[in-house]
Amino acid sequence: MKGMHRIIVQNKRIRYDFEIRRNITMIRGDSATGKTALIDMVREHYENGEASGVELTCDKECAVLEGRTWSGQLSMIQDSIVFIDEGNEFVMSDDFASAISDTDNYYVIVTREGVPSLPYSVDEIYGIRNSGKYGTLKRTYNEFYRLYQVSDYDQAVKPERVITEDSNAGFQFFENVCRENGRIACFSAHGKSNIFTVIVKSPDEKTLVIADGAAFGSEMEKLMRLIKNHPNIVLYLPESFEWLILKSGLIEDGSVAEILEHPENHIESEKYFSWERYFTTKLVQSTQDSYLKYAKRQLNPAYLQEKVSDRILAVMKGIDLR
Amino acid sequence: MLNIYYGNMPEAVFNTSVYFKNVYEDEWITDPVAREMILDVDKSIVLDSAVIDSPVMGKIPPVSLSGGVKTLILMKNERSKVFNASACGDNCAGWILRLARMDELTINLRHLMDFGEGTFDICILNTNQIVHSMRELVPIAGLYV
Repeated sequence: MKGMHRIIVQNKRIRYDFEIRRNITMIRGDSATGKTALIDMVREHYENGEASGVELTCDKECAVLEGRTWSGQLSMIQDSIVFIDEGNEFVMSDDFASAISDTDNYYVIVTREGVPSLPYSVDEIYGIRNSGKYGTLKRTYNEFYRLYQVSDYDQAVKPERVITEDSNAGFQFFENVCRENGRIACFSAHGKSNIFTVIVKSPDEKTLVIADGAAFGSEMEKLMRLIKNHPNIVLYLPESFEWLILKSGLIEDGSVAEILEHPENHIESEKYFSWERYFTTKLVQSTQDSYLKYAKRQLNPAYLQEKVSDRILAVMKGIDLR
Repeated sequence: MLNIYYGNMPEAVFNTSVYFKNVYEDEWITDPVAREMILDVDKSIVLDSAVIDSPVMGKIPPVSLSGGVKTLILMKNERSKVFNASACGDNCAGWILRLARMDELTINLRHLMDFGEGTFDICILNTNQIVHSMRELVPIAGLYV
């Protein structure tokens, strides 16, 4: 499945109206905001159709997945939007992550747990915003230039250390930039789940965390709770390092601008479990015959040339690493 | 004192809504503290042990209360059990602290609930450390969720 899909579900008492655009959407937030009521209405419509008294409007079928037989149910659901309520412990299992990784469904999951096995975006974490009997989804983490936890937008972030999630090309790029700067330490956390552990060892340093926003959702809550008391820590979460390069305009590929404007129209969920994988594939394909030929494992030295790296850094508005 | 075990805890009751449906008693709903919790979190009024007036859903039975309130009611009435408090939103945190002030309470959390700006006494069972603020709690508990 690809694209953005609007879902309107209503009965005589309550109406929900929202859009989803990636394969995994998380819903959490306060109690009594109507999360379970939403899933109940989708279930009743799924089981009984119009006879349920629930009206559901969407260009895709909406289903509910639950209980011990989830795996068998899932095998019969295709090209659908699948809702899962909290209380379904299987969501936390590696089996579930594996089972949905190559399906052509979108998933809307209600849980307050991080679920690191699922690569969901920081942009796709929502609470339900109610106004009377009308509910819609409200994004939980709002970004400004993809910077999180910056209170003063007028001053550029000048970190003393940079921690990258990446240990490959992205890390090699930022390590080189920081080495040239001479005043910024740069090291890799070797994975998103290690970032919190690395930061809490010295939480008072001026730190910039650079991670792939496309799959960083599971880490957001605890990091935002931590940096609430440590404003010296800033998160920079582009979709991925490859997205930064594509965004820089360095790549001569006429399709890139449209792809970056509306990625959801190009990224097939069955093929790409999260968007950063698509951006990597796109960058590799677009540069294969050029001097900027990209490989994720080992950064092509061409990206370290000043005129090239400056273009990439220019995408990172509000951050000064030079 | 509030005791919290962070992360996966197999002996905790995970699906609190299912457990509530099968064990709740009428007196649990009409209890004055439960009435307060239901009014505060769900904005609903207990009419009697079987009927609650919800501003959105109309007259509902106790099993249709929010997952958060049902878990709070379980915590109040079944102290010998440990419940998955990640069924509760941050708007239940104050009530969990209040229940723990009435009597020793042990819960399981699989996310970082926000216990607010004030001070409290929470024992993190994973490390057996007592913390008094979110500033102290987050760096420890965050390692387990």
